[in-house]
Amino acid sequence: MMKLSRRHVLAAGSSGAVLAATGACSNPGANGEAEELDPSADVTISVGDQPTEDKPEELAAFNERVAEFEAANGNITLEPSAEVWEAQTFQAKLAGGTLPTVMGVSLTYSYELIENGQLPDMTPYLDELDLTKDLNPLALDNVKDDDGNVYTIPTGLFSVGIAYNRNVFEQAGLDPDTPPATWDDVRAFAQQIKANVPGVTPYAQMTTNNTGGWMLTTMTYANGGRIQDEAGTESVMGEETIAALQLLHDMRWTDDTMGREFLFDQEGVRQAFAGGTIGMVLQAPDAYDTLVRDYGFDPAHFGIGQLPQGGSGANGTLTGGTLKLFDAKATPNQLLAAAKWIKYYDFDKYYDETVALDDAETNAAAGNPVGLPGLPPVSQEIYDRYLGWIEPHINVPLEQFASYTSSTLPLIAEPPAGTQQTYAALDPVVQQILTDEHADIAQAVADATEVLNGIIAQAAR
Amino acid sequence: MTDTLEAAPQAKRRKRFNLTRWARGGGLHAVLFAVPVVLVYAYFSWGPVIQGLVLSFQKTNLIQPAEWVGWSNFTYVLADPGLVQASLNTAYFALLALVFGFPIPIVLAVLINELRKYDSLYNALAYLPAIVPPVAAILLWKFFYDPNATGMFNTALGWIGLGPFPWLNAENSAMPSIVLYATWAGAGSTAIIYIAALSTVRTELYEAAEIDGAGIWRRIWHITLPQLRNVIFVMMLLQLIGTFQIFTEPFLFTGGGPNNATQTILLKIYNYAFVNGDFGAATALSVLLAAFLGLLSVAYYFVTKRWSTS
Repeated sequence: MMKLSRRHVLAAGSSGAVLAATGACSNPGANGEAEELDPSADVTISVGDQPTEDKPEELAAFNERVAEFEAANGNITLEPSAEVWEAQTFQAKLAGGTLPTVMGVSLTYSYELIENGQLPDMTPYLDELDLTKDLNPLALDNVKDDDGNVYTIPTGLFSVGIAYNRNVFEQAGLDPDTPPATWDDVRAFAQQIKANVPGVTPYAQMTTNNTGGWMLTTMTYANGGRIQDEAGTESVMGEETIAALQLLHDMRWTDDTMGREFLFDQEGVRQAFAGGTIGMVLQAPDAYDTLVRDYGFDPAHFGIGQLPQGGSGANGTLTGGTLKLFDAKATPNQLLAAAKWIKYYDFDKYYDETVALDDAETNAAAGNPVGLPGLPPVSQEIYDRYLGWIEPHINVPLEQFASYTSSTLPLIAEPPAGTQQTYAALDPVVQQILTDEHADIAQAVADATEVLNGIIAQAAR
Repeated sequence: MTDTLEAAPQAKRRKRFNLTRWARGGGLHAVLFAVPVVLVYAYFSWGPVIQGLVLSFQKTNLIQPAEWVGWSNFTYVLADPGLVQASLNTAYFALLALVFGFPIPIVLAVLINELRKYDSLYNALAYLPAIVPPVAAILLWKFFYDPNATGMFNTALGWIGLGPFPWLNAENSAMPSIVLYATWAGAGSTAIIYIAALSTVRTELYEAAEIDGAGIWRRIWHITLPQLRNVIFVMMLLQLIGTFQIFTEPFLFTGGGPNNATQTILLKIYNYAFVNGDFGAATALSVLLAAFLGLLSVAYYFVTKRWSTS
């Protein structure tokens, strides 16, 4: 399927010494501005996120859509690639120029990529395809620069909530349809679980691979605080962050309701949750997919509520999602073709009932969750119409997501400057509070503020 | 014509370089043989080293044109509040590995060497951990280090009334836990080298010592260790350099936590480059580490040279 193009050969030749020997391989054969946009010219692009061989139905469905797209757009040739976003290798691959023309990447990177010139200005192509007006305006705010230019297409949006094991709730004598609404509830529920369900970590917190900072940011938002100011020029952590850490400290050391493992990352905590040993943990609804499909968790035991709130309540929750990373070095014709593909692959189902039904049927047949709640990448009306079309195929127990889906919490974007670095710098703070009973929380936050300001200064340099 | 006639006696002195004679004498072949090697080294080894040096003075994300920033990457990494702790952690690991990890392979080698029967079986057993790929072994040990009372190590220690210990989940026990693993993983392959070295020790020395009435400890102290001295010095230098470059273990066990207790220099370099995308800072710290290790090697060479000759 995949031909070895000059681009791949160049990339392969240079990938040996990514860190150092990259100066020589920086042009994968495109000369951006020199070319005029010609929508009918022959063009070849590579597209990422192709399902792997171990998911044959999904792969077949993907390849079928590739063929359909090529048939409908005779001048565009697609080279599918199984490249997917991975935090650990992304920067190296981006720098090495080995990523496809377009693929999905964590929305976390949007500000950084725009600022660093690693994303092309997509405004003309999105205008050409008349796509901008239908996109969820809230998500669009995350992918614009100060002049209103749009650099990417956000998809797969979510906000953080609290996932819980309904079985554990029942054993503890808690109502499985009532997740904790406040952090006081979380603490009380955790105590009740500890008293009634032995061998279970009542409340688990992620702390490693940047997830510690990610979740501390979420908890800070829930308390009404912020990590950085809106423009991303300085760190503004204050009493809201301290309150979040104090709560974790008290749950760990006073109540002892957080178990013994304090080096969880996303995968680790999901595995433990799927093993039935965790009562509650902060997660977005996409956890359902991984838990049920990859780790065999019983769907009947999954529950998720809106993010518990602190302070005066209704402060908000953190949002995230996927952005489509277009190759900054691609030609205008390639970028237009890539935008067409994304429109076709990710958005047609919201506008075309037949496509919606086909897509839902394929996913249901492959055992994928259909109708999984999340924030729509399109406007709410269009999304509701789409949900109406696919209703017969929805296989997710929506009533177990009720508290999450009925949430009206304000949605707050991630810290703008050096987002992943910011999270990485906050990981040790959370770890310290959970592993050192006598940690000075205010001092830890003050030290972290200093580190964050250093990161912000280095990012703006 | 006269010129060549006059030049001939000079050439006889063979002082002056003569291209034809050099080529006929095999010089050209030598160069031809060397070219591929030199090119491969230049492209894959020296080139990246020089590029790395250049990168450390640049700000670049490798997509936008690079920008010269002078010493700013160096001042940034040196001012990073985490650098001191990462350096101390790395030194702490090196120290623990030296005190606990270094003697064990020697002891192991001497013991196996003393065995009269089944020594190849023990050889194989000692070497077994080295066969397990590090990533698989580390993930396995993560299970062993489960901090719950039901974890493997905690259960075993519970039988004799110890624990449960937090292992990787506490600042003061995380690094020793990693050293324990590293010792287990590394002892076998180092012991093999010592065993090979031991086989070169002449057996007459032992026989003579035995006749003189020397016990096993005196034989080890006065014969085995002095005979192994050079190997020990080389292994110690290799281990020192290796421990200063420790990465896989903290990366997979703890991600540098808890609270940076296992954050090492190399993990920092990795995070600069692949989490932050700051290749300038990453190469700047790499250059500093390389310079430090270079100095350490030189110092070590001179110190041990004096010991060896004394």
